[in-house]
Amino acid sequence: MIITKKRDLEELKENIKNYNSFFLIGCSECATLCGTGGEPELQAMKETLEAEGKKVTGSFVAKTGCQVLGTKVELKPFKDALAGTDCILVMSCGAGTQTAVELFQDTAVYPTNDSLFLGNMTRMQMFDQRCSLCGKCVLDKTGGICPVTACPKGLLNGPCGGTNEGKCEVSPDMECAWVRIYNRMKRIDQLEEMKKIAEPKDWSAGNTPMNLNAREKKGGG
Amino acid sequence: MNFKEALNSGKFAVTAEVGPPKGTDIKEMLHDAEALKGKLDAVNVTDNQSAVMRINSLSICKILLDMGHEPILQMTCRDRNRIGLQSDLLGASVLGIRNVLCMTGDHPNAGDHKEAKSVYDIESVQLLRVVDSLNNGKDMMGNDMKGATDFFQGAVVTPEADPVEPQLMKFEKKVAAGANFFQTQAIYDIGKFKEFMTYAKKFPVKILAGLVLLKSAGMANYMNKFVPGIKVPGDLIDELKAAGKGNALDTGINIAARHIRQLKEEEICDGVHIMAIGAEDKVPLIMERAGLL
Ligand code: SF4
Ligand code: SF4
Repeated sequence: MIITKKRDLEELKENIKNYNSFFLIGCSECATLCGTGGEPELQAMKETLEAEGKKVTGSFVAKTGCQVLGTKVELKPFKDALAGTDCILVMSCGAGTQTAVELFQDTAVYPTNDSLFLGNMTRMQMFDQRCSLCGKCVLDKTGGICPVTACPKGLLNGPCGGTNEGKCEVSPDMECAWVRIYNRMKRIDQLEEMKKIAEPKDWSAGNTPMNLNAREKKGGG
Repeated sequence: MNFKEALNSGKFAVTAEVGPPKGTDIKEMLHDAEALKGKLDAVNVTDNQSAVMRINSLSICKILLDMGHEPILQMTCRDRNRIGLQSDLLGASVLGIRNVLCMTGDHPNAGDHKEAKSVYDIESVQLLRVVDSLNNGKDMMGNDMKGATDFFQGAVVTPEADPVEPQLMKFEKKVAAGANFFQTQAIYDIGKFKEFMTYAKKFPVKILAGLVLLKSAGMANYMNKFVPGIKVPGDLIDELKAAGKGNALDTGINIAARHIRQLKEEEICDGVHIMAIGAEDKVPLIMERAGLL
């Protein structure tokens, strides 16, 4: 899921100081699990804004805020409230914010969250980054542990000289990704694979902006 | 005799290190370099060592070359992408630099520009291959070049890494990628290093043992605690302690000299790489006491 955290409130206040009426959009997926854009957070934001003397015309939690068409349909019942709104606050990720920008081209839209990474939830409200969406996955060669993400240098051919008792040179709080990969490869009997030299990575596979038309199934391409 | 010839002749090679300063005043560095002239087989020039921003390695290599030194250009992958690295390698080649040490490089987090965007487009193993490709007249994408380079390329290895197995796997990759010589991370336990050499001798590469000059017991303790892959044994720390404050540096020089003597006399490895870290002026003294001058 996309991991978000609340932006600095003072910064947000500065963003919206010239607006008076707000509509809040949350998201039932990642932002709800992160505690940044579910019902309780929307309610809290409403109270914060009202305490500042602002008006909240309505609020709603989108089922999947990054789904443009679905969100558009879900927003239909809020037409009147939205008509009397001069600013929309999106309490999900940067993608959700830009759904609103696409749907409300004449209204100011601000994010209330910083979008951090694609993460795994390891415990309630604890998240780890395991994949950085590089565009060309190497997990098939690394025992399923991602060095592009877990090694601060994104090394592909084994540990640097900074490994220290299995920890990473960048921080003793971090396991060295390549020691983890080594241990894993050993366990699954794939050390031979680890001995192969990895070619330079095609980073252009991750160039932004990307798009994908998954409909193109015909023609075998 | 250049560095490559020296190593290939079977001579016990000696290299040391010059660290470019931060800023444009290079007087002190030149003074140290002058004192090393004619004594070394090659001199490494570090590349923004510990991710601390300084004069680039290439410029200082050229200055040292003009002084009559044989420079080894240290190249890390931290600050330049594959275009920048290859371009600098070609530049080094036309300036007459013949030796290059391929490294991944300390993370910016270690240095004085922690907010820098680190590059690591490629890394040490791949950089060795790039050098090999340039030596064969092609860039790393296989494009033909007008004129090839003629580098003698080397790499680093940490014999006392913990755990050591993945480190040795990487060592073997570096050998396969074209490394001709290795300069090791600092070693202090000659017995342990002998074990590493028994293994390393199976490969067609030259190994120079890395020696960092111990300046005090405090420094040794610090390195044990904070520098990955360095282990100073307790008896050496005791020796430094026993020498007392005023004599610790002199004792450190003796330790380095003693180790060099043993490495050479017992033919344990192909040479030594002396890292005096801020006490470059002591390198000739170490060599003298080791019987190398
Ligand atoms: S290799 Fe790329 S796609 Fe695969 S897990 Fe790592 S970052 Fe994600
Ligand atoms: S210590 Fe391990 S995880 Fe950290 S930068 Fe080096 S190889 Fe990567």
